[in-house]
This record gives sequence, C-alpha cells and structure tokens, in this order.
Amino acid sequence: MSTIELRNVSRWYGNVVAVNDITMTIGPGVTGLLGPNGAGKSTLLHLISGFLEPSRGELTVAGVPSWRNPDIYRRLGLVPERPSVYSFLTGQEFVRATARLHKLPDPDRAADRAIGIVELAEAQHRKISTYSKGMRQRIKVAAALVHDPELLLLDEPFNGMDPRQRLHMMDLLEALGDEGRTILFSSHILEEVERLSGTIQVIVAGRLAASGDFRAIRRLMTSRPHVFLLHTSDDRRMGSALISSPAVTGVEMTGHGLQVKASDYGAFSREIAGLTREQGVQLRTLLPEDESLESVFAYLVES
Amino acid sequence: MTAENGALATPGGGVIHDIGYQHYTGPRLGRPAIVRALVWYSLRSSVGIGRGAKAKIIPVLMFVVMCLPAVANAVAIAQGGHRLVPYDTYLFQLRVLVMIIFVAAQAPELVSRDLRSHVLPLYFSRPMTRLDYPLAKLIAFTLACLALIEIPLLLLYLGTITQAHTPGAIWDQTKALIPGLLVGVLWAVLLAAIGLALASLTGRRAYATGSIAIYFFLTWILAGLLETIGGGHDRGPLTSAVGSAPAGARLAGLVSPFTTVDGVRQWLGGTSRGPIAPPGSYGPLYGVMFLLLLAGALGLLAARYRRASIS
Amino acid sequence: MFTGQAGTVASITLRATIGRKRAFLFVLPSAILLLVTVLLKIAHPSAPDWPSAVLGDFGFAVVLPLTALIIGTSVLGAEIDDGSVVHLLATPVRRSTVILSKFAVAAVLTMIFVAVPELIAAVIATGGVTKLAEGLFVGALAGSVIYNAVFVMISVLTTRAIAVGLLYLLVWESLLGNFVSGARILSVGQYSLGIANSIAADSHLNAHLGVGTAVVMGAIVTAATLALASRRLAAFSLKGDAV
Repeated sequence: MSTIELRNVSRWYGNVVAVNDITMTIGPGVTGLLGPNGAGKSTLLHLISGFLEPSRGELTVAGVPSWRNPDIYRRLGLVPERPSVYSFLTGQEFVRATARLHKLPDPDRAADRAIGIVELAEAQHRKISTYSKGMRQRIKVAAALVHDPELLLLDEPFNGMDPRQRLHMMDLLEALGDEGRTILFSSHILEEVERLSGTIQVIVAGRLAASGDFRAIRRLMTSRPHVFLLHTSDDRRMGSALISSPAVTGVEMTGHGLQVKASDYGAFSREIAGLTREQGVQLRTLLPEDESLESVFAYLVES
Repeated sequence: MTAENGALATPGGGVIHDIGYQHYTGPRLGRPAIVRALVWYSLRSSVGIGRGAKAKIIPVLMFVVMCLPAVANAVAIAQGGHRLVPYDTYLFQLRVLVMIIFVAAQAPELVSRDLRSHVLPLYFSRPMTRLDYPLAKLIAFTLACLALIEIPLLLLYLGTITQAHTPGAIWDQTKALIPGLLVGVLWAVLLAAIGLALASLTGRRAYATGSIAIYFFLTWILAGLLETIGGGHDRGPLTSAVGSAPAGARLAGLVSPFTTVDGVRQWLGGTSRGPIAPPGSYGPLYGVMFLLLLAGALGLLAARYRRASIS
Repeated sequence: MFTGQAGTVASITLRATIGRKRAFLFVLPSAILLLVTVLLKIAHPSAPDWPSAVLGDFGFAVVLPLTALIIGTSVLGAEIDDGSVVHLLATPVRRSTVILSKFAVAAVLTMIFVAVPELIAAVIATGGVTKLAEGLFVGALAGSVIYNAVFVMISVLTTRAIAVGLLYLLVWESLLGNFVSGARILSVGQYSLGIANSIAADSHLNAHLGVGTAVVMGAIVTAATLALASRRLAAFSLKGDAV
C-alpha cells in the first residue's frame, strides 16, 4: 500500500511558515503538486521524502514516518530539484553506485535497465559534467528508479527539458503511474500538470488551496463566473436575451464571438438550449473559455 | 534620430516607441562615486554587516580577542600599574593569530562570493574600469584590517593617558603611539593585499580560506623555526644588540609576511623586542621583501581582474 | 572498484577528493616540510636538536593539523554545501556507514600525505630510523585519525567548517594551549604529541600529556565526534525553495 498521508502538517522557519497545516492523502497514480514559486512545493516534497522534519503534524509514507527512517528509501525514489550531482562520475557509474547503495542483488543489471528506461544508454559512459541539463534530470530519474520503488517523488522534473524530452518524460511518468505506483511531481508550469495528472494538489503560500480533479475543482467554485464563448447566427439578439437570464452576469460582444459570463454554471447550461430555440437563433459554437488550469490557478492565486 | 511622435527611429528602419518610460535626466556621479559605493559596501561585508548574525561572529570575536590585552592593560594602569604592552609590537603572537583568522575568513567573503555567483559582468558593465573593482575591494579590506589593528592601540593609548598627570607624559605616550600606528598601517596594507590576492584565485570560499590560512600560518611557524635553528636563541633583554645573531637567524624572517613587517620596523628604528632577532645589516632586505610581497599581491589582483574572460 | 555500501561511499569520496584542484593543497604543506628538512640537512646547522624542532613544531603543529583540516572538511563538506549528498542519503545506507566510510578515506589520505612524508623527513633529518622518527610516524598516524574525526564532525555541523576548524586550531590549540594548561587535555595536537613522545622520548617535542591520557582521550574524542556526526547526518535537512 503506497499512500502518502499528511495530517495537519506544518513547517516553519522562525517567523516564516513554509507549509501551513496541510492535510492530504496521495494514492497510486500520478498527482501533480502545483503552485507558484515560493509556495512551499519543494518544502512539502522534502517533508514527504524524509529530508525535513515537520514542525507539527503527522506525516506517514506507506504507513511509517519518513523522517529519520533510511529504510523508507527501499520503497521511495526521490529526484531532487538542485542540479548538482557527482559530475565526475559517468552516468553508468552513478546509477550503478546508487544500485549498490540500495543493496540490490544484481546492481549492474538494475542500473542498465534504469538507464534504458530514461533512454540514456548512448551517453552513459560519458561523465555527467558533459551532460545537458535535461540529461542530468534523466540520469537522476534513472538513479531514483533503479530499485523499482513504489513511490516516486520528483521536484520540478521538467526544468531544463526541451519539448521532446518533456513529452518523453511525461509518457514515462504516465506509464509508471498506470503500473500502480504513486507518483508525485511538482511544477509551477500549468500545461505540464494539466497534461499529465488527473489529480492535482494546489499549494499557495504554504496552504493547500485545492485538491482533486481540476475540472471538478473548477465546478466547485461556483462563486466565480464561468466564461463561455458563443458563435450564433445572431449574436446581438442572443446577447440581449441572455442578459435577461438570472444565471448570466455579463455579456460582451467581442471580435471573435459573444462572450458570456455565467454565475450559475448548472442553470446556464440548462437554459442555453431553450433560449436559442426561443429566439430562433442557431447556436454554432459553445466553448468554455476558462476551463484550463491557467484560469483555475489564476483564480486561486488572486484569491 | 527622432521621429515626430517621440518614437526613435533606428537605421535599420525599425521604430522604438516612446511609451512614457521616464528617462533619467539627473546628475550621473561617475567613477569616483562608483568606487566609493563599492568601498562602502565591501567594508560592510568584511565585518559581516548586512549578512545576518552568523556572518558577524568571526569579525566580532576576533575584534574582542584583539582588544583584550589593551583593555586588560588599561584596567591595570587605572589601578596604578604601568603600560606593559608596547604600541609597535602589541602582543605579537596574538595579533598574528587573530589576523590570520580574520583575513582567511573574511577575504573570501569579499571576492570569492562574487566569483562564485558570476556577478562580475554586472559590475564591469558599469562605467568603471577593470581596476576599480579590486582597488575598491583593497581599500575596503585594508580599512577593515586597519580598524582591527589600530582600535586596540587607541584603546590602550586612551587608557594610559587618562592616568597621565602631566602634559609631558601625555606627549611621551603620543610619541610612542605614532610609530605603533604606522606599523599597524604596514600590517593592514600587506595582509589585506595578500589575503585578497589569494582569495581572488578561487570562487569557493572554503578553498580560499584554506589557502590563506596555510600560507600565513605555515610561513609564520617556519620563520620562527628557521630563526631558532639558525642560532637566534641568545636574545636577552638587550634588544638593540645589532648584528649579534648569526646570519641565518636574521634572514629567517623573510619567509613570513608578519616577520617581514617586523623586520622593516626594526630596520626603521623600532626598539621593542620582536618575535625574531633584529635584522641588523640585513634591514634593507626586509624593506625590499615587504615591497616585493606587496607588489606581487597587487600585481596578482590586477592581473586577475583585468582578464577579459573573467565571469 | 569497491562493492558494498561502505565501499561504494568510500570509492566515490576518494575520487571526489583527489580529483579536485584542492588536492594540490594537500600536498603543499608536506612538500614544504620535506624541502625545509632537506635544505637544513644540507646547511648543517649547529643546533643539535633541530630535527625535533622542525618535525615537531612545524610538522605536528602546522603540517598535520592544516592538511587534516583541508582533507577532513572536503570529504563531506562540499557535498553538503551543494546538496549532492542527497543522492547518497536517499538510499537505505546507514548514516553511520556514510560517516565512517568518509572518515576512513580522510584518515588514510592524511596518513599518506602527512605521516609518510613526516617519516621520510625524520629519516633524512636524523640520518636513520631513530626513535624520534618512529615516534613521529606513529604520532602522525594517530593524529590523522583523531583530527579527521573532529573535522568530519565539524563539516556536518556547519557550512563554514574550515573557518571553524581554523578557529579551533589557532585559538584553542595554538594560543590557549600555550598559555592555559587545562586546554591541553582537549587538544588533539597534544594527543598526537603525547603518543609520539612515548616512543621518541624527546623533550623538545613539547608533549605535555602522558601516553595513557593521550590514547584514552584520543579514542574518546574519535568515537564521540564520529557518533555525533552520524546522529547529525541522520537529521540532515534540505532547505526548501525561496523561503
């Protein structure tokens, strides 16, 4: 059972609270930890990976606390954010050394397998000091995977990767998540989290602002108007009809269509079809304008 | 070339629009102000101001340790004793060890940090020359070392003259103090230059501290050792016995900057007993050595920062 | 090269320590010691006890502690400073294994770069394998062990390990050790000298502790500092992002 459980976990440094009373459970599959810089994502990952002690609260990984517990690393792999790694070693030496430190029965084979997974086999005999930033990330992932862990924590793993490498890494993480492992990665780049994880945990200023599926989160926030873009056969007529509906808070004629702000998502979606029929207007397109994580994020940050 | 609506036209045909950013039209202070600002900032870093409490521990600790003999002697004088601590040599071994620690710990703070975080291009893209930077650092660090050396002397002086009852006695003390202050200047200038020169060779503070410590401590012990081996044992209370020690003992001090400065002091007429035998006729060699060390350190600093590839 | 956890840590540490430019600093003090010894031997000074002055006052008071300081702080200090030690620690290896392996590498390197040159210098100076030479060699071996235990511990406790180590050497051992006799019981330099003196029996070595005290205190200090270092490494924390 590879779940991560946090209950009222806080961490402070003097007056600064880095992580503020967070309660959450992270289970198998890929979970994205999202938040702006300085929100406490790295701090949270260090707490979970046993490299920081919680100032308060309980934190368990697969049922045991991770702090001061080196045995947890048999089941957990960590890919830290800082790019420093033993750059005088070759990629193969580094992963093999990690395998030996894990006391694997066949360290060399495990290392070769891990290097193959991250597709660094051609570069493995070169010193890490000659690697690009993306390659260094990948060799760190290989070292974190060499012991076949159930849990994998990655701190900003896509930093410094070009789009092709990023896609490859995303596919890799998705495959690992599908195998039933618990993958937790952090990012402040929205499209990464959007594409990869179904579940997100949003951290803002040390607090857990939201958790769950991001579309579901969106729907929960009924206080903020949803924005839709409509293309109809008669936008102006449609607009004046819409503004008389109590579910609609604003209507704007823009150059690319009719922009409608609806405060009540449910009511609006029920009404729109009837309204178009009543008005004798043909509805050609109806698009939500802000279902992306970007608007979710921006909304959470500004609140 | 400006177009009518305030936009700036460039030769290639593109246009830079004036969107209202205000151009600074006030006075621009120029190089002396830049150097002054850098000196002030470096002086503050060399004593740990602006870096948090931990950065101040070593400077403050070393300052307190250095002042202890002066304060102790002043207290003794107030109770009727005499001034035992000389102005020009102070407590030599204490001064050596304090200055080694201070220079080894703080010189890297001034120059190695900038190298490590690659901020030199930011400095050199300002209207200052390549030499302004090491010059400013040198002035700042010399002032810091000067404070560490001279303030205890002044404390001692004040402690002594407050108990002096005649203008003559005060004048005597002042006459004794001035050479001591001048010797202190020699110390500060040489140690700051060597410390910064060694520290500028690397961006890692730990290596810099290690190199500086090894150089100063190693040569200091070596000088004392060579002097003892060279036969400088017989040094009684008569310190003005010029030429009494064998040549080996008199030359031993050239190995270490500390004893070199002291050799210069004795050559120029200083009479207090130093850590090594009086150089006698080899006095001018000590003067030459002092200048060589200083020139070498300054040359190293200048060469280091003049290289175009520094980043 | 080596297999097993301790061997892996040791092999990485060895390569990291020797491969860097810092290795030049290890060799320098001993090279100067040898140079000075050879020059003095050629110059035939009149003082008959110059070997114990050079090898004791210079070798033990300067070369041994400074070299041990540089080596002892570099086997762990740089990795902690840039965070790469995380790759070692994110494995089930016991923290005490990490500390002991690194300590062993540091001690052996110091023995090679200090104790052996000290022996060579002593043989040159005294003209053969005298009691003095043997004593100094054994004392330097002991000093390599004890000093490195202390400096490895300091590099776990603080990022400014060299400056702190320097404070210890210059203020505690040099300054106070010369004036306050109570400080000698806690001076690693005195332990080394005491052990050296038990074989060499040379009063010019300035050894103030008997061999029994030196050995016992040396063992206690070594064990205590390594234990403390292991405990602190077990609580190693990564600093967060822009907090």
